[in-house]
Amino acid sequence: MNLVVFFIIKGLEVSAPIAFAALGAVFTERAGVVNIGLEGIMTTSALFFVWGSVFGGNFVMGLIAASIAGLLMALVHAVASITFRVNQIISGIAINILAVGITRLVSYLSFGQETQSKTIPFDFPHVFGINIMVLILIPLTVISWFVLYKTVFGLRLRSVGENPEAADSLGIPVFKMKYIGVLLSGIFAALGAVALVPNPWVEGMTAGRGFIALAAMILGNWDPVKAVLASMLFGFADALRFFFGDVELIPKEFITAFPYIVALFVLSGFVGKATPPAADGIPYEGPGED
Amino acid sequence: MKGELKYKLLIISGPFIGFGISLLLLGFIAFLMKENPINVYKAMAKFSFSKAGIAYILADSTPLIFSGLAVAVAFQAGVFNIGVEGQYFIGALVGAVIGIYLKLPAIIHLPLVILFCMIGGALWALFPALLKVIKGVHEVISTIMMNMVGYTVALFLVNGPLSGLQKGISLEPRTKEILPTAVLKPIHGLFSAVGIDFPKYVALDFSFIIAIGLCVVMWFFLYQTRYGFNLRAVGINPDAAEYSGIKTKRVVFWSFLLSGAIGGLVGLHEVFYIRKYYTFNIAHGVGFDGIAVALIGSNNPFGVIPAAFLLSGLKRAGYGLQLFTSLPNSVITAITGAMILLIVISNTVVLRIVRKMRKKEVGGV
Repeated sequence: MNLVVFFIIKGLEVSAPIAFAALGAVFTERAGVVNIGLEGIMTTSALFFVWGSVFGGNFVMGLIAASIAGLLMALVHAVASITFRVNQIISGIAINILAVGITRLVSYLSFGQETQSKTIPFDFPHVFGINIMVLILIPLTVISWFVLYKTVFGLRLRSVGENPEAADSLGIPVFKMKYIGVLLSGIFAALGAVALVPNPWVEGMTAGRGFIALAAMILGNWDPVKAVLASMLFGFADALRFFFGDVELIPKEFITAFPYIVALFVLSGFVGKATPPAADGIPYEGPGED
Repeated sequence: MKGELKYKLLIISGPFIGFGISLLLLGFIAFLMKENPINVYKAMAKFSFSKAGIAYILADSTPLIFSGLAVAVAFQAGVFNIGVEGQYFIGALVGAVIGIYLKLPAIIHLPLVILFCMIGGALWALFPALLKVIKGVHEVISTIMMNMVGYTVALFLVNGPLSGLQKGISLEPRTKEILPTAVLKPIHGLFSAVGIDFPKYVALDFSFIIAIGLCVVMWFFLYQTRYGFNLRAVGINPDAAEYSGIKTKRVVFWSFLLSGAIGGLVGLHEVFYIRKYYTFNIAHGVGFDGIAVALIGSNNPFGVIPAAFLLSGLKRAGYGLQLFTSLPNSVITAITGAMILLIVISNTVVLRIVRKMRKKEVGGV
């Protein structure tokens, strides 16, 4: 029994970073902007969480620093892909490369080492032994669903991703909505980075979670609740390593690769049913202009 | 005709504008970090453009050319192959197995090794290619997953069945030595023949020639053959290509495998010349650097070569900064990231301007 509870808690904790990023991915893609820079945004935010925690002295400062970092990185993607209409995949790749450079420089200047930071000067907050970010995730998922489907804002955001020309003709500020979608994905990616408990930050610690989040979003059919559930599938597959990591019969390399294999397997079976927003990934050129 | 030349020059100027802005940015960062920008530029130039510096830049560009070319060929067909990293790890491993366990004369052995590197790389692109064509799974997601799985497969094989660990000598997870018949030869003699004596300690080998040669071959394939035309047509507009009778899915599938096969060659320089054994510790991230190379080189095989020189030159310049100024090496890593973004933006903007100018010209007639 105890083992089951432990597995569930571990599973949720490992799922949370993916789930936050997947929520972010839902918002940006619903506004029609693909953001594969989530991985780089998470890395950067994870470092700035430690930075804010060390120099601010508490969890809230860390959270604020991480969010600002996520917001700024997302802003770069927004400027490149919305204003300058650079191919969104290309801009996202560039963000990921940029993140490696920025984190190394900041880590070197702040902590004297390029690939590893200091540890945070306090215990990461837990409630009843559960990572506090897990507790934030559940209400945030519900709020995201409500905002997306039950508010005027959500309707406008979705309309921009489905048919920007029609949205524009109805007076919805298309560019502004797209910016909001991308910036939200930055903040969510930052929350996901904090949920990773970067203590200390180490280069490469996000280990592809930003990309798994995109797979979760596809699997969740661009719906916040389903995307979070899909994240948990990957998270629980990953949590198995806490149990089978020491079993001699299974090579530990395969335990590490298991969530990625699950992601591939699931994508190959399910994705036929997925329907992305109609104008997802297509830069908006403005009304009547070519 | 004079107008066409003007447009061509404008388009070529795109990457230089981004490059120039990022150099200015570097100077500004240096200024903020209380270092004289002029000293910074001097240190970079001095360290990069010495004889040894140039030799290092050429040698280090070899894996980047392969990986950039792999990404570029896929990009031209509209495929975002982010999986070159995994294709490189598996390709080099498959090639190494041939190089270690088969006993053959050099004239057959080495070509066979190269062939199997390509087969290994193509194999690792096969699953994402099938997923894309059959199920419509976006390759950015599937290739990233394949990278992760590729790392672990390589690590598992090197730790387990293929381990050549000699007790008491090293703890590095590695294979046995590659046989001398499967090892690449240095090319310092070729440069000496034209009067350039590069230092012997710089690892310049035959894989550099293969890389440049492959770029020429791929340029010819892409721009001078029917298959290449079809490939680019699919990349520019898949719907139009389909209507004109091109089997889009087939083109996407084969260009994905071709890209993977080229990606399988990324490890030639390090595994079959420098180390002469395979290890999990071969340079990580070269597959991702290839994305940057392809972007800077506008996905043209002849753009890939200078782009690879630029990236290996920046790496070299980074060491120069570390030695001769107070700036850390990571400044260059950060500037490289910013530079890629700036070049991509300036490329896009220049193309847009050219398109507008062309339209105006046509409208004016």
